[in-house]
Amino acid sequence: MPRMHTLADSRREQNRAYWTLVLPGFLIYIAVMAFPTVFSIFLSLSDYAGGKLFGGNPVHLVGLKWYKNLFSDEYFYLALKNNMYIVFVSVFGQIPLGFFLAYVLYRGLVRFADFFQTMIYLPTVISTVVIGILWKSFFAPYGAFPELVRLFNPAYEYGISNHPMLPVLFVILWMYTGMYLIIFIANLQKIDSSIIEAARIDGASESQTLRYIILPALSGVLVTTAILAISGSLKSFDLIFVMTGGGPANRTSVLSVYMFDKAFKGAPRYPLANAISTVMVIISFLLIGLTKWVESKFGGRE
Amino acid sequence: MRDIKDTQSVSAKVNLVLTYLVMLFFTVMAIYPLLWLVMNSFKTTTEFQLNKLGLPQDWVLVNYQDSWVRGKFPVLIINSIVYTGITTVVTLVFSFMAGFAFAKIPHKATKFLHGSFIIGLLLTLQSIMVPLFLIINWVGLYNSRLGVLIPYIGIAMPMGIYLGTEYIKSIPTALVESARIDGATYMKIFISIIIPMAAPVGVTVAILTVTGTWNEFMLINILTSSDTLKSLPVGVQKFAGALSSDFGKQFAALVIGLIPMLLFYLVFRKEITKGVAAGAVKG
Repeated sequence: MPRMHTLADSRREQNRAYWTLVLPGFLIYIAVMAFPTVFSIFLSLSDYAGGKLFGGNPVHLVGLKWYKNLFSDEYFYLALKNNMYIVFVSVFGQIPLGFFLAYVLYRGLVRFADFFQTMIYLPTVISTVVIGILWKSFFAPYGAFPELVRLFNPAYEYGISNHPMLPVLFVILWMYTGMYLIIFIANLQKIDSSIIEAARIDGASESQTLRYIILPALSGVLVTTAILAISGSLKSFDLIFVMTGGGPANRTSVLSVYMFDKAFKGAPRYPLANAISTVMVIISFLLIGLTKWVESKFGGRE
Repeated sequence: MRDIKDTQSVSAKVNLVLTYLVMLFFTVMAIYPLLWLVMNSFKTTTEFQLNKLGLPQDWVLVNYQDSWVRGKFPVLIINSIVYTGITTVVTLVFSFMAGFAFAKIPHKATKFLHGSFIIGLLLTLQSIMVPLFLIINWVGLYNSRLGVLIPYIGIAMPMGIYLGTEYIKSIPTALVESARIDGATYMKIFISIIIPMAAPVGVTVAILTVTGTWNEFMLINILTSSDTLKSLPVGVQKFAGALSSDFGKQFAALVIGLIPMLLFYLVFRKEITKGVAAGAVKG
């Protein structure tokens, strides 16, 4: 007679199966993300100056020394200001524009919606590196931009811009608006279209439909996209690293480029770099908290 | 009465034309820079200097021939395919295994483990960059394929777990239970029930992982030093970024760097837009 499965046997098997299924992913995740995040905070409070991680020079905790260092560095504020410009363009440029385009396509105000959507989303899928070099060459003194301006203003002469962030902000708007278009379209399609039709039959105008039906239904999505835009803007690295490298004279630097320079350019200053990344996380959480607070205070009429 | 109707239809027509013009404007804005790039990649650098905005007078392929060889593009493309392929497959398998356990095997550790993965959605690459660089060096994986792959998999995992768990929860538990009563092991259930049924969300996770991994630039830049280990974006940046005056070759290199994702997009357009919308809801 075969051995009967007891309840305890099945429990044990269940337990073993659980850990077999979970552990491979969890161990990699801990090693690659969770532990390094904690380690980063530790590093930002230490005097580790490179060299062997264990068994080299002893590492001491030095408190908030690097944070004080950071807050007295003018380049930190310059980078932070540029990040805020990007946040601004994302929240008040990409989101409204993406919403406008999504709305036009969703309401069927034009034909060939699929074509428009495909084309407008296209810049988002291409490697940021390709985009960055492309625009760098486009805006270069010997690139196409001065030529293009001369078509309209023959007297134009290329000079060093007083607003070096403007081209960067333009490219950011150009590149990511399509992403918000996609997010809004997907969520607009979830709205029950019979409600909109009923309102239209009852004589509601296009703008009334938008104001009283569509916008309230999307308030949650608007907050989500705002959070996405804020955290994405604070993290932006690739495009600026490739397009300007933070130059000229750090005037287009952002926090992540500033941090990269401290860690990997010249003599490594790992603790300072990790203080920067920790501050970035804190700012990001603060801004996200602020967004949620604004929503709970003024939004949420559903 | 008739007049009002006429003015209404006239203003409606004006509105329609305006709407088309606005949409057309944004479409041209979106693709003109890319067309400009492709067009100029067929000009010699000398011609580009004289004619920056117009079509090439004669279309030459010499830029592509030069860049393809000097930029070592065959190696870069193979590397990118290897990194992206392995990362995507391993992420899918590991995150769906864990998602299955979280969704269908009751266990007191689930709350903590699943919760830690969800926190991972909020962690930033910046925070882990320096520690990861130090750890990878310390364990001796600096400048190796494995030293790139393991971080890539770990980074893709939270999204896979999040979407995977949610989806697998919606698969009827009765299916799992009846298979258990029939004597199937959890592994067998995973392979024969969960994987086929979770295929739709598998496509979403795969799309997000492929696009994220293919375009990743910052980590691979600091975790490798040999040209033979670089991915396509890093190679393009190294090669094309250094060609500050040889525009013809630079543009050809950029077009080569752009083609794989463009093809991927044109083939999986529907799935990509669906995946982006699903991935964005995380908040």
